[in-house]
Amino acid sequence: MTRVLVVTGAGGVGKTTLSAALAKVAADAGCRALVLTVDPARRLADALGVGELGNEPTPVEGHPGLWAAMLDVTASWEAVIHHYAEPEVADRLLVNPFFRAIADRFPAAQSFAAAEEMARLVESGAFEVVVVDTPPSGGGLDFFLAPRRTGELVGGRLLRWLTGAHLPARRTLYRITARPVLRLADTVLGGPLLEEIAEFLLDLRTMYDGLRTRARTIERHLRRATILVVTTADPTPLREAFRFFEELPEVDVHPDVVVFNRVLPGTWIEAADRPLRGIPDPELRAALRHNLRRWAAEARRHELARRSVAERYGVPVAAVPWLPHPPATVDDLPALLEGATGLDGVFDGGGGTVPSRP
Amino acid sequence: MTRLVLVSGKGGTGKSAVAAALGIASARRGDRVLVSSLLEAVGLAQHLGVPALDYEPTTVRPGLWASAVDRPGALDEYLKVQLRVPKLAPTGHLLRALDLLVETAPGVREIVTIGKPVYEVWKETWDLVVADAPPLGQLESYLRAPETLAGLVPEGAVREQAAAIGRTLADPQRTSLVLVAVPTELAVVETLEAAEGLERTLRLRPTALVANRVLPHLEVEPEAIEGLRNSPALEAARLHLELEAEQREWLTRLDADVALEYLFGLHTPPEVAERLADGLEEVLP
Repeated sequence: MTRVLVVTGAGGVGKTTLSAALAKVAADAGCRALVLTVDPARRLADALGVGELGNEPTPVEGHPGLWAAMLDVTASWEAVIHHYAEPEVADRLLVNPFFRAIADRFPAAQSFAAAEEMARLVESGAFEVVVVDTPPSGGGLDFFLAPRRTGELVGGRLLRWLTGAHLPARRTLYRITARPVLRLADTVLGGPLLEEIAEFLLDLRTMYDGLRTRARTIERHLRRATILVVTTADPTPLREAFRFFEELPEVDVHPDVVVFNRVLPGTWIEAADRPLRGIPDPELRAALRHNLRRWAAEARRHELARRSVAERYGVPVAAVPWLPHPPATVDDLPALLEGATGLDGVFDGGGGTVPSRP
Repeated sequence: MTRLVLVSGKGGTGKSAVAAALGIASARRGDRVLVSSLLEAVGLAQHLGVPALDYEPTTVRPGLWASAVDRPGALDEYLKVQLRVPKLAPTGHLLRALDLLVETAPGVREIVTIGKPVYEVWKETWDLVVADAPPLGQLESYLRAPETLAGLVPEGAVREQAAAIGRTLADPQRTSLVLVAVPTELAVVETLEAAEGLERTLRLRPTALVANRVLPHLEVEPEAIEGLRNSPALEAARLHLELEAEQREWLTRLDADVALEYLFGLHTPPEVAERLADGLEEVLP
């Protein structure tokens, strides 16, 4: 059975690199491991060889067992439409001026496409480990909520209002009470905007059943996956991390571990209060001491952040040390996890089980 | 004349802190200033030290007001005040129809949102309006909304209104754009790409690039600590030197107008905003 690790969290916290590192470590342990990534920094993309490749998994040269795929998020809505709408409806939808707007407006579609790609690869059974780096949309939350939201968008309350309580299988005239209102609104607005929108949404609605069924399957995959919420101790990503605990229960998904990235050693905190030895030059000693004190204050802030998350949500917390240089080659990746704590169990955990702590 | 400053940047770079700090800096010099959040109000409220923000401006301190643009409030004002939609009998249905419009038609939601600070500018009751604008990834769709709408609606109130908002946003005498970045590869590359995109599609140039969380220079030569016995002090110095070198590379690439120093240790959000305000006076119009 395929073990799925979903690595999520706010943008800029190092998810992509961490995902690649986890896959590389799994591959080194003898697993057939795939990292499904979205937008890696250029150097890492080059290292993985995914810069120009599409959705299809490709072996990473020189690293047996490690595969990589980059999700082409721009094509995602088109793919969703082609897959779930009848051909004539799909053609009509794709040229509709509102389609672009919906696609831009609803970045969750990227996430839906990513989640679907994940499901497809898991169902293929070709890999023992699949590590998914979630798209940035909605701070990573969309990846989990998109399957349901996409269904809701297509069968949403506005459409229900337009068409009455029933979901039409095909284009139907919208409800009798809605039409004069749309006309009236259009008069005010100065164009046949709303009537056109209504037509468009009715087309979109035909995809509802297919999308909803698939969304349920994808959610089942997500419930079985091990979910790692990555953050740093900075307030913005931390606030985003909290949202996973507030909002994921909605789809019955629960994070397994919160991974703090760029963590400073706790040993600095105590050391900052002790005199510095072995440095004869007084000026150098003063500069080093001053600098250690600043960074010790940072280390303390990191520690408080970790403790607050553990206490607030009763969740295991992992720590990945701050490397001044992010790994630039695949060979550098395992070093990222060497000094890490709290990640040992992630490959055999999942679906609500708690990873073991070292 | 009221000036408008839009503050944007990649998420997590301190955009809301800088928006709050600009408001504080402006109020300190005696301006009457409004800081308004356009999307996520939590960050701005925290940095201003208030529990929450309302659609209507509330006083934060002498000279400084704050507000948050929420969709229902903005849509209501847009329809009643800006488009002068008459109070019609089937209001419930009409509102739902218009909700549909906002959900679906390109540019409408953006115009409703970005319109709000612009109306505040038109009122001419403020010296400065600072908008905590949507993050970099969404900024262009907001700034482009007037054009998008013009392509969709041939005539009428929506189109005229959008054009007026567009004129204010595009007027360099009125409106400036401040982009906040941190000196890392991801943030700098994204910021420069976004700035290029804005210039290409809207001929809009950021008035100022602000580099946030710039490490202070550590007066220690790397050679001076070579060969010394390893200790936390040395580890911290090595980390600092390497991070500083890495930052220097991206700072050069960014070529920022202002550098705001990294704040070590625990600071409350209002403390952060106060400190940043010290370094932001030159960015004020």
